[in-house]
Amino acid sequence: MTDPTAVVLAAGEGKRLRPLTRHRPKPMLSAGTCPIVEHALDAVIDAGITSIVVVVGYKRTDVQSHLGPTYRDVPLTYAVQEKQLGTGHAVLAAQSHVDGPFLVVNGDQVIDHRIVRDVLEAHASSDAVATLGLLRRADVSDYGGVLVDDGTVTEIVEGPRDDRDYRLNAGVYAFETDVFDAIRRARPRAGEQLIVDAIELLIDERDGVRGVESDGFWADATYPWDLLDVAETIVENGGRTDRPGDEPSISVHDSAVVRPPIVAATDCEVGPNAVVGPNVTLGTNATIGSNAVVERCVVDTDVRVGANATLIDCVIGRGVRIGAGTVVPGGPGDVRVDDRIHEDRRLGALFGDRVEDRGGVRYVPGAIVDADAVVRAGSVVSGRNTYVRTVGR
Amino acid sequence: MCGIIGYASPDAEPAGDVLLDGLERLEYRGYDSAGLAVANSTIEVYKRAGELASLESTLDGTDLVGSVGIGHTRWSTHGPPTDENAHPHTDCEGRVAVVHNGIVTNAEALRAELVEAGHVFESDTDTEVVPHLLEEFLDRDLSPEEAFECTLERIEGSYAIAAVVAGADAIYATRRHSPLVLGLDGETTYLASDVPAFLEQTDRVIYLEDEQIVRLAPSELVVRDGEGSVVEPPVETIDWDPEDVGKSGYDHFMLKEIYEQPQAVRQATRGRVSELDGTIELTAFPTAMRNELDRVQFVGCGTSYYATRYGAALLRERGVPAQAFVASEYGTERVPTEDGTVVVGVTQSGETADTLAALRDANGAGATTLAVTNVVGSSAARECDAAVYVRAGPEISVAATKSFASQQVTLATIASALADGTDRPFLESIRDLPAQVQRVLDRSNARDVAEELVGADAYFFIGRGYQHPVALEGALKMKEITYEHAEGFPAGELKHGPLALVTDRTPVVALVTGGDDLVEKTLSNVREVEARGAPVVAVTDDPDGVDGVADHVLEVPETHRYLVPVLTNVQLQLLAYWTANLLDRPIDKPRNLAKSVTVE
Repeated sequence: MTDPTAVVLAAGEGKRLRPLTRHRPKPMLSAGTCPIVEHALDAVIDAGITSIVVVVGYKRTDVQSHLGPTYRDVPLTYAVQEKQLGTGHAVLAAQSHVDGPFLVVNGDQVIDHRIVRDVLEAHASSDAVATLGLLRRADVSDYGGVLVDDGTVTEIVEGPRDDRDYRLNAGVYAFETDVFDAIRRARPRAGEQLIVDAIELLIDERDGVRGVESDGFWADATYPWDLLDVAETIVENGGRTDRPGDEPSISVHDSAVVRPPIVAATDCEVGPNAVVGPNVTLGTNATIGSNAVVERCVVDTDVRVGANATLIDCVIGRGVRIGAGTVVPGGPGDVRVDDRIHEDRRLGALFGDRVEDRGGVRYVPGAIVDADAVVRAGSVVSGRNTYVRTVGR
Repeated sequence: MCGIIGYASPDAEPAGDVLLDGLERLEYRGYDSAGLAVANSTIEVYKRAGELASLESTLDGTDLVGSVGIGHTRWSTHGPPTDENAHPHTDCEGRVAVVHNGIVTNAEALRAELVEAGHVFESDTDTEVVPHLLEEFLDRDLSPEEAFECTLERIEGSYAIAAVVAGADAIYATRRHSPLVLGLDGETTYLASDVPAFLEQTDRVIYLEDEQIVRLAPSELVVRDGEGSVVEPPVETIDWDPEDVGKSGYDHFMLKEIYEQPQAVRQATRGRVSELDGTIELTAFPTAMRNELDRVQFVGCGTSYYATRYGAALLRERGVPAQAFVASEYGTERVPTEDGTVVVGVTQSGETADTLAALRDANGAGATTLAVTNVVGSSAARECDAAVYVRAGPEISVAATKSFASQQVTLATIASALADGTDRPFLESIRDLPAQVQRVLDRSNARDVAEELVGADAYFFIGRGYQHPVALEGALKMKEITYEHAEGFPAGELKHGPLALVTDRTPVVALVTGGDDLVEKTLSNVREVEARGAPVVAVTDDPDGVDGVADHVLEVPETHRYLVPVLTNVQLQLLAYWTANLLDRPIDKPRNLAKSVTVE
């Protein structure tokens, strides 16, 4: 496989991560000091690829504005998937930009270049029509389980419940162009064309699907609290998964305490007597006020934390303002996602983009506040507050 | 980010024109210095800091004839782009010229070694080690191709490199982790960082792979792999529109640039505003100049002129006598200057002829001059006593958007730096501004409002105080890209004449912000137009306050009153954009207009 094009899928919303995805798709959620999609792009570029198509759809301007026409000097071509009708449908959106064997990676999972390289090498050295990147994981029940016999993929099961020897589908694929036809022919599932269904078709017809196990880095956030775990892993690795972490340009007052590990993007400020860390990621232009305590939090771009606020186990969206004296004591708590209650999850609170907390607010663990909402001063917030513009009494 | 181009052809076509054309198409990768080299028995190199236009004027119609040539365009973020630092770079004897995109990581060690061996360097770049290495190997009687290969063995890093050698009649090029693509057009061959550079000429391309070495000669193209074996790489056909490249998936550069404003604002204040220390640091604006400053005269044209109106108002409020002048009128008016007068020229490109002329007049009259510009090393930046960069990044759309936001923020920062004492609420607000611009972008209903109002006879924009320049800029944007009639007025002036034009077919866009007193006065002006049946669009940070008065509301978040104009202006940009879009106008290239006007 010589100099293939990489198709990076960045069109999906990530419904289970609402309301964080109110204004941006899942690939743009924070993972360390940058959005998730940058990890995917780093991985393909570090694996030597210089032709990249980014498939965008849901809230696409956010991806396009952030990445721009080039990433690390590699030109990016954008393909638009107007309606998000599945991963296979997204790959079809990129078809006109692909004219030979190509690579597909999910733009909403954190990976490193080893998986990409392993898949490229395995694909080049066989005559497979498709090669899947696989990982050894104890629990694959939330993901695609792949059964492999001597390198040949025999079955893919979404969310397997039995105890066969599954590998986890890493969402990194090398394909021959035959896959486009297979995607079109595969039977849609709930109205969606999926990559895995096309692969199943190829397994049945051609017996030419290979799987390669990789020990590269891989992390995914399905639910909001997963973002804290992903961040923790990245922080422990010192920032980017496989690039030397960008040197934090963070201004810290002499009396403030930074408890490692933390990672910070540019333009951050930490005020007098504040305590930041451990396990905190600070996005660009984040401001931590005097005496604030921030522990195990994802703090996104342009966030301002007021004086004397205490934030533990929080996922804080872009441009959020936390008022003075607000307290989030941290998890575990019960979190509602869609109609299901997930009990005892380690999530102090989740703030959608640009929530304005007016200060002195207490959050019951597991609280969720929708993007752009105003939280009244001195109120107590619990449960899921979506489509509510003013929270608290 | 940089762009490179190369050309080899048996035709006698002037190589200079072909290279310039290609560089123009790579401008989206940056344009603050440019250069080219044409090789015959000797090598001719032309390079200049500044936009491509300054390279073109250097050439001034010189027919650069040659069958092979290379070129480079650059956008630097660190250090000034000077003529010396522009590519191509040459060896001591001028036998070799090299263009490079990427970074040579072991340049320092190589440079020390080459200096030791007697080589003389002219630039601060990492690139320059490449021509000197080539020279070193050529002096050992290696062929150009062998010398190129030996050079590559010595350098580390990521790069795309193209080199020409006097008398060799070929380009030698390679890539490693940086893009390089070849274009095939009969016996003519191109190479470039990206396809659009030559897509007008050919759609048949070869994507080079890492470590492959190519020799481009007229009528001959040889590609070798890392081991030196000749390979036949596949030729691919391009079927997409070159116009789309660089737009990051947006339909127009203008919309792309509107959406880049949160980032532009962050860059404009980066390292300058410290909330923690309560300080503003503008190292480019010398303290001595600040201390001697008694009064300020601003000069600018078009959108930049409106920025100067805003800047002057900010300074006046802080007790500094300040006036804004249309640059082309400044010399005619013979505005008096005296000791302590600082003349500030605001120009996106730094090449605007009218603004340069005004600055030269001021300089001649003995005034101190300051450039506020987006282009590092531009004429304005070089000719003025000092320069503050607005750091908006490359702006391609003819209608200025993000550069105006960056000018506003930079001028607000300068004004604050000139004021005594710290203004913490302002510093806090300026750090919160990017999120608020993002909020306007995420939630704007300007597209719906444009749909309601499109097809009107004319559009009027009114505002008071800091919103007056925004009204002028909003009207200019509307004129430029929709071709519809639009005018901006101070809200109070409406009743002194323009009101005669107001009908039920002339929407009035009112900027209703700026404190109770101003809001009340502006609202009474709004009632005047409402009585004539005009549809009213209120741009406001207090939607409840315009309830029952406005037909449409464009909301902005509350912020420091100095900074509200940044937010209201974004709504007007979107209103103009969507109106032009509905009218199907060529938004990025309006008729009769040029991005940077380099004639008086």
